Amino acid sequence: CSEYQKVLKNEDVKAKYDLAEKFYDAGDFKRANRLLEQIAPKYIGKPQGERVMYFLADSYFQTKDYNMAGYQFERFLKSYPKSDKAVEAGFYGAKSYYELSPKYSLDQTDTDKALIKLQNFINTYPDSEFLVEANIMARELTTKKERKSYEIAKQFNTIGEFDYTFLTPAVTAFDNFISDNPGSVYREDALFYKFDASTNLALNSFDYLKKDRLNDAKAAYLALKKSFPESKYLKEANKTLEKVEKELEIYSK
Amino acid sequence: QDTSYEDGKRYILGGLEVTGLQSYNEQTVKTYTGLRIGQPITVPGDEISAVINKLWGLELFTDISFYITNIEGENVFLELNIIERPTLSNVTVYGVKKRKIEEILKDTDLKKGKKITESLIANSKNYIQNKYKKKGYLNAKVTIATTKDTTDANTQAMVINVKQGDKVKINDIVFEGNEQLSNKQLGKAMKKTKKRKFYRFWKKSKYIQEDYNNDLVSLVDKYAEKGFRDARIISDTFVKVSDDLIDLKIKVEEGNKYYFGEIDFVGNTVYSDRQLAQVLGVKKGDTYNGVLLRERIADDSKPDAQDLTNLYQNNGYLFSSINPVEISAENDTINFEIRIIEGKETFLDHVTVVGNDKTNDHVIFRELRTRPGQRYNKSDIIRSIRELGQLGFFDAEQIKPDIQNPDPNAGTVDIAYSLVEAGSSQIELQGGYGGGGFIGTLGLSFSNFSMKNLFNGEAYKPVPMGDGQTFALRLQASRTYRVYSLNFSEPWLGGKKPVRFNMSLSRTQQFYYNPYVSSKPDKSKQFSITGISAGLAKRVLWPDDYFTISHSLGYQLYNFKDYNLGLFNFGNGKSNSIAYTLGISRNALDGGRIYPRKGSNFELTAKFTPPFSLFNNIDYEQLNEDEEKAIEELDSDEIERIDQERFRWLEFYKVNFKGDWYTSLVGDLVLRSNAEFGFLGSYNEDVGKVPFERFYVGGDGMGAYTLDGRDVIALRGYENQSLTPYSTDPLSGGQVQDGGVVYNKYSLELRYPLTLKPSASIYGQVFLEAGNAFNNFQDFNPFELKRSAGVGLRIFMPAFGLLGIDFGYGFDQDYNPNSSGPSGWQTHFIIGQQF
Repeated sequence: CSEYQKVLKNEDVKAKYDLAEKFYDAGDFKRANRLLEQIAPKYIGKPQGERVMYFLADSYFQTKDYNMAGYQFERFLKSYPKSDKAVEAGFYGAKSYYELSPKYSLDQTDTDKALIKLQNFINTYPDSEFLVEANIMARELTTKKERKSYEIAKQFNTIGEFDYTFLTPAVTAFDNFISDNPGSVYREDALFYKFDASTNLALNSFDYLKKDRLNDAKAAYLALKKSFPESKYLKEANKTLEKVEKELEIYSK
Repeated sequence: QDTSYEDGKRYILGGLEVTGLQSYNEQTVKTYTGLRIGQPITVPGDEISAVINKLWGLELFTDISFYITNIEGENVFLELNIIERPTLSNVTVYGVKKRKIEEILKDTDLKKGKKITESLIANSKNYIQNKYKKKGYLNAKVTIATTKDTTDANTQAMVINVKQGDKVKINDIVFEGNEQLSNKQLGKAMKKTKKRKFYRFWKKSKYIQEDYNNDLVSLVDKYAEKGFRDARIISDTFVKVSDDLIDLKIKVEEGNKYYFGEIDFVGNTVYSDRQLAQVLGVKKGDTYNGVLLRERIADDSKPDAQDLTNLYQNNGYLFSSINPVEISAENDTINFEIRIIEGKETFLDHVTVVGNDKTNDHVIFRELRTRPGQRYNKSDIIRSIRELGQLGFFDAEQIKPDIQNPDPNAGTVDIAYSLVEAGSSQIELQGGYGGGGFIGTLGLSFSNFSMKNLFNGEAYKPVPMGDGQTFALRLQASRTYRVYSLNFSEPWLGGKKPVRFNMSLSRTQQFYYNPYVSSKPDKSKQFSITGISAGLAKRVLWPDDYFTISHSLGYQLYNFKDYNLGLFNFGNGKSNSIAYTLGISRNALDGGRIYPRKGSNFELTAKFTPPFSLFNNIDYEQLNEDEEKAIEELDSDEIERIDQERFRWLEFYKVNFKGDWYTSLVGDLVLRSNAEFGFLGSYNEDVGKVPFERFYVGGDGMGAYTLDGRDVIALRGYENQSLTPYSTDPLSGGQVQDGGVVYNKYSLELRYPLTLKPSASIYGQVFLEAGNAFNNFQDFNPFELKRSAGVGLRIFMPAFGLLGIDFGYGFDQDYNPNSSGPSGWQTHFIIGQQF
C-alpha cells in the first residue's frame, strides 16, 4: 500500500493538501487531481482556497479533462477576480473551451463558447504574454466556422451536378458565405464555386429564365476576377465564361 | 449616509470585520465580498455598492450595512454589519389530512433551512388557497403564522392553518332572456360548469371560477355560431342557496339573427377569389357564424388547419396577414370584405443545424428539404423532420425546427434545426452452451459508421462514427458450426446522389456431429454455404419522390461433403445460386422508425435466376421419368444423381409484397394495418420448384435458421412454422415440412406508447392477424385463413434494439399432424426485430 493510497483513504485534509502539492509540483497531475477533488470543497473560503482551486483547475487541464477545467477556471475567476493567477486562469479557461471545439462538420456550440472566452481574454488582458497564442487560437476557430459554412455550400454544389434543385441553394449559400465572412481564407474558393453553381443553374434553366441567370453567372465571374485577379481558378473560370457568353449571345437576341 | 459618489475618497483597505453573523462563518462572508486587505478602495464608492448588491442578491439577509470604524492615514477600516434572515425550522399544518400535508409541503417547497421572507409566506398562502378553490372549496381559509424557535439560532417555526370548508356545488343554472336557444343547448355549451345531477359522475358540478369564466365565453361563442353575433351576457349573478350550494343566474341578450352577405376578397394576387372562397367555405346566405369565420381565416386551435392563413403562410407567404372587415349590413345580412396583405414572398436564408455531436453535416444537409434560397414552405419543414427522424441517428421526438430572424422587408427567414443524437449502435457479445458445446457470438452493428476513419485512431470514440454508413459484423462459432457475416452500406455512394450501396459477405460451415457415435464432431463430413451480394438502391422522383428502386445481385455456393442436410436428396456435391433482385419500395412513414405515427410503407421485390434450363441441354422430362423409376425401385443413389443434376444451378423466381399503413387515431394511439404476399415459381414445369427460398409461416417470425434463403413469416397465436403445410416424402413416406410456395398474411395492430424517451421507448399493442401458406399455387385461396388475436409489449433501447413479448390466441387448427382443435394461447418473445 503506497503513501498515495493511504492518504487518499485518510480523512486528514492537511496530509492530502501536502501530498497533492508534491504530486502537482512533480508533474503527476492525475494523482494530484484526485486528491484536490477531495479537499477542494473543504478549502472554500479559507486562505489556501485560492491556491487549491487553481491547482484543481490546472490539474484538470493537464489531465485533458477540458470540460471540468473550463468550468473550474471559470469558478476560480469568479471567486478570486483579483488573483495573481487571474491571467493564467483566464487564458487556460479559454484554452479549455478551445480544446473542446469539435471538428468543423459537427455542432459548433463549443466553438462559439470558446471564441467568446478567447475574445473576452484578449479584451481584458491585451498586454498578456498569452496574447499571441490566444489570437492564433481565435483565428483557427474562426477559420473552422468559415470552413463549416463553406463546406455545406460546396456540398449543395456537388449534389447540384446531378440534382439541379440543389443549385439555387448552392448559390444562396455561397452568397451568404461571401457576405458573412469578408476576410475568409475560403473567399476565393467560394467566389469561384458561386460562379460554377450559377453557371450550372443558368445552363439548366428554362429558356425564359436563362438570360437573367446567365447574366448573374457573368456577374459572379466578374466578382471573382475583381477580388482575385490572379486567382488559381482563373483558367478554369475563363473556360466556363466562354460557355456563358456563347449562350448569352443566343438568348440576348 | 448622505454623501454622494463624488465625495468618495480613495483609501487602502486596512481591515474588514463582519458583525451580526449568526449561522455563517466570518471568513466565508469576507471571501464572498471579494475585498482584500491592502487593495485600494473608494469610500463611498463602486466597490462598496457592488458588494452590497452581491450580498442582497443572495436573499439571505434582511439588512446589510457598511460602517467606517477607523481611518489611519491612507488606511480605512470597515465594518460590515449583516442581519440574517431567520430560517425555517419546522412546519406544522392543521386541518389537512396527513397524506395531503406532504403534498402541500412539497409543492410550496417549505423545507427546513429555507429563508423566511414575506413573499414566501404570501406565496404559500395563495398557493394553498388556490389549490382548494380549484377543487371547488370556495370557502377555504388559510392562515400562516411564524414564531421564534428557541431550539436553534435565528430560526422560526411556521404554523399553517387550513379551514377547508365545504365544497361548493352548483344547485342550478338559470338562464334568462334566451328565446332562440334552449336552456339545454346553453347548458351544453358550458363545458365545465354543470348543475348538480344525481347521475353526473364524470363531470362534477363543482364551482370553479376560472372554468366558469371560460364557459361564459363559450356561451357567447355558441350564440355567434348560430348567427347571433350581437349576443352578450348582460349579467351573471351568484346566489347562495346554502353554505355549499349556489345558483348561477345568467342573463343574456340575444339580439337578431344574421346571415352572411357578399364576401369580397381584396388584395389577393397569388390566389384567385374562387380559390380563396373555396378554402373559406362560407357562402352568401349562410347563417352568420362568427366562430366559423374566424376559424376559416385562422384557426388557432389547430396549427395544421386548412384555413386561409395557412394557405398563405405554408406556401411561401410567411408575412401575410388576413383581416375580415364588415363593410355594410342590410337588415339581417352582413357584407364582408376580407382584406389580404400578402407581403413579400418568403425565402429561406440561412439553414443551420445544432446538436449533431456525432453525425457530420453532410449526412444531415443532404436530407434536408429546406435549403437556402428556396421558397419558405411549411410542408418542406415537416418533410425534413420526417426524413431526419427516419435516419435513426437522432431522437425523432426531439427534432425541432426554429424559425429565426424573420425579415419582412427582405422577405427572408432562417431555420435552425435542433437535434439530439440517439445511440444507434448495437453490440452483442455472448457465450453459452448449446448443441453439445460452447457457442460464442460476437456481433457488432454500427448504423452511423464512418468507413473513411477506419484507420484513424483519433476517431475511435469508441468507434468511428458520423458518416451515416452501416457496418455490421457477426461471428458465431461452436464445435459444430461457424457462421461469419459482414455487411456494409453507404446511403449516398460518392456523396453526390442518393444511391445506397450495400455489400455483404457470409459463410456458414457445419460439421457432422452425432453425440451417440463420438463426442467430437466429424470434420470430414460437412457442408458450407458461401455467399456474396452487392446492391444499389436509388431514390427516384417518379411517380413521387418517396419511391426507391433497388437492384441487387447475389451468388451462393452450397457445398456438401458426405452430409445430407435434407434440403436436397444428395449428400455430396455442389449447388450454385445466382440471382438478381429488383425491388420497388415507397416509404412515407411519419414519426421515426421506432414509433411511426402516420404514413405508409410498401415493398415489392422480385428475385430471378437466369433460365438455365433453356440452354443447359439437360432433358428435365427424362430426369423426371428417371426419378419416378428410381423412387419405385427405392434406388437412393440414382435419386441423388438426378437431384444433383437438377439442382447444379438453381432456377426459380420469387415475388414478395409487403404493405404497412399507419394511422393516427386519437392522440398517440396508432393503428397499423399490414398486408403481405409471397410466391415462389419456376420457369419450367419439368424443373420443378426449388427446395430453397420457401415460406415458413407461423410463430414469432424470428429467422434463426436461414441457410436456405427461406422467408420466415410471423403469425402470432401459432407455434413457430406450424402454419407451413406438410407433404409426403416420396422415399420414406413420412410427413415432411419443406416450406410453402405461396403465402398471404394480414394484420391489424393498435399501438399505444407508454414512453418514447430516447433511452427507452415502450409501447403496448393489441393485434388481429390472419394468414396462411400453401404447397402449390393451385391450392391457394386468399380467404382460407388462419386467424389469431392477442396483446403484446415492445421495448426499444438503443443499446439492445427491440425486445418484445406477445400473447396470441390462435382460433384455428395448425398443420401439425398431431394437433387437434384450435391452436390456443401462445407466448412469443421478440428480439431485435421490427414489426
